[in-house]
Amino acid sequence: MSDEALWANIFKQKNVVKENMFTVLKRIPVFQDLGYKELRAVERILHRRHYKQDEIIFRENEPGVGMYIIEHGKVHITVGRENKLLVLLSNGDFFGEMALILSGKRTASAIAHEETSLLGFFQPDLFNLMETNPKIGNKIMFRLSQMIAERLRLGTLENRQLKARLNVLQSELETLKKGKKD
Amino acid sequence: METTVSRFLKVVLVVAALVAVVWLLSAIRSTIVLLVISALLAYILDPFASYLEFKGLSRTSATILIFLALGGVVFSLFYFLIPALSHEIASLQKGLDGKTTSQLFDNIEGFIKETIPLLKGQDLNLQAEMQKGIQNMAESLFAILVNLVPLFTSVIIIPFAVFFLLKDGRDMKKHLVSLVPNRYFEMTLNLLHKMDIQLGGYLRGQFVDSTIIGVLAIGALWILDVPYFVLIGIFAGLANMIPYVGPFSGAVVAIFTVLFSHGSGQEVLYVALAFLIIQLIDNVLVQPLVLARSVDLHPLTIIFAIIIGGQFFGMIGMLVAVPTAGIIKVTAIEAYNSARRFNLI
Repeated sequence: MSDEALWANIFKQKNVVKENMFTVLKRIPVFQDLGYKELRAVERILHRRHYKQDEIIFRENEPGVGMYIIEHGKVHITVGRENKLLVLLSNGDFFGEMALILSGKRTASAIAHEETSLLGFFQPDLFNLMETNPKIGNKIMFRLSQMIAERLRLGTLENRQLKARLNVLQSELETLKKGKKD
Repeated sequence: METTVSRFLKVVLVVAALVAVVWLLSAIRSTIVLLVISALLAYILDPFASYLEFKGLSRTSATILIFLALGGVVFSLFYFLIPALSHEIASLQKGLDGKTTSQLFDNIEGFIKETIPLLKGQDLNLQAEMQKGIQNMAESLFAILVNLVPLFTSVIIIPFAVFFLLKDGRDMKKHLVSLVPNRYFEMTLNLLHKMDIQLGGYLRGQFVDSTIIGVLAIGALWILDVPYFVLIGIFAGLANMIPYVGPFSGAVVAIFTVLFSHGSGQEVLYVALAFLIIQLIDNVLVQPLVLARSVDLHPLTIIFAIIIGGQFFGMIGMLVAVPTAGIIKVTAIEAYNSARRFNLI
């Protein structure tokens, strides 16, 4: 148990929805290495945004420039025209972190599922931070690349497994074809 | 029926509100100019503050340090330049009153009348016109801001505003951005960033370029022993911001000054050569290094921007006209592009 949990037990009732901003930030992998003072500096560049139920946070295929952290509330991540639900995120979750590095088009839409408060962390602010406070910037960048490298590793593994499976299926198909011919 | 009435009322109210806003803006025009100048200065100084922050200072101490340094520069400017400047302007006026100058103007007038027959018999009164012009220049140089707001207020208000804009500008920007509706929020943030990249390079480049040209001109004219070298140098530096016409006007003013102070043809040649070399340095060395991002403005746009700036805000308006036109152009283009990317239009 971390000490945050200990403190949380003193100050919070069990079903409190709202959490302290720091406890939220502390749990985000990108900010993991930051100390209290550094988190204060990050807090200064975060944008707090409030969304009503069913309000769109961002749309698929629109350019994105940053990630969002859910301070409290729930967010649907959906794809396609028919808004196929990919995942339901809640307090302390984050999404859109790819846009921090690659400011391309969003690959999914994000929609507030209930009254939601988000903390936005955007590329221009990250650039500023790297310029004025490279120590914090580096820590964040390192965690970001770690996250992406991990995702790449998982992707490669999955790719390999799929390829192996494909090979098996292909050889099965060929034996089946042979069987038909014979 | 009722809906048309209420719609009509709405339109009337909106138009009235717009008129009120425009009236208010024009009424506080001089204050807006002060704010714009302060914002431009704070914007130009911002990288210095960021650099000091990178060196480990807090934003507040960085701002204070910059102000101390600027205070030193301004103080030494006043200490060394102002006596020279006021002396120059005083002697410029005296020089035009003098007898020899009178003769010179008579000669020039005679020459013009001889070569242009149309003007024969007319009294050109060149000297009086010239004197009036110099008087205007002296007034506007010293009272660039006095025309708009009392000098006292500007001298107090501009540093005050620059200080707080430099110190709290980022928080102010963040608060302003937080007012933008969710739908346009990310687009606005992106737009501001893109504008910052383009305009920051452009405005800072202009500022640095003007300073370098001004200093070079002052140095060259000082070496060539041209009278009023400080005034002409400052003018050349400022005028250099205006493409095409600017570089010439600095040289022309210097050459005329040499002519009026009975300089020989050789001296004129030297001054022209000096300005040629300065332009060469500017074009080959300074501009490629400093003006990395130019905001290509058409010459016609520039000329009209300067005229409009002069109409609204006088001398100051003419000086900030080109950067302002650049700002408007970049804003319009980036806003349009962003709106298209976000499928708003």
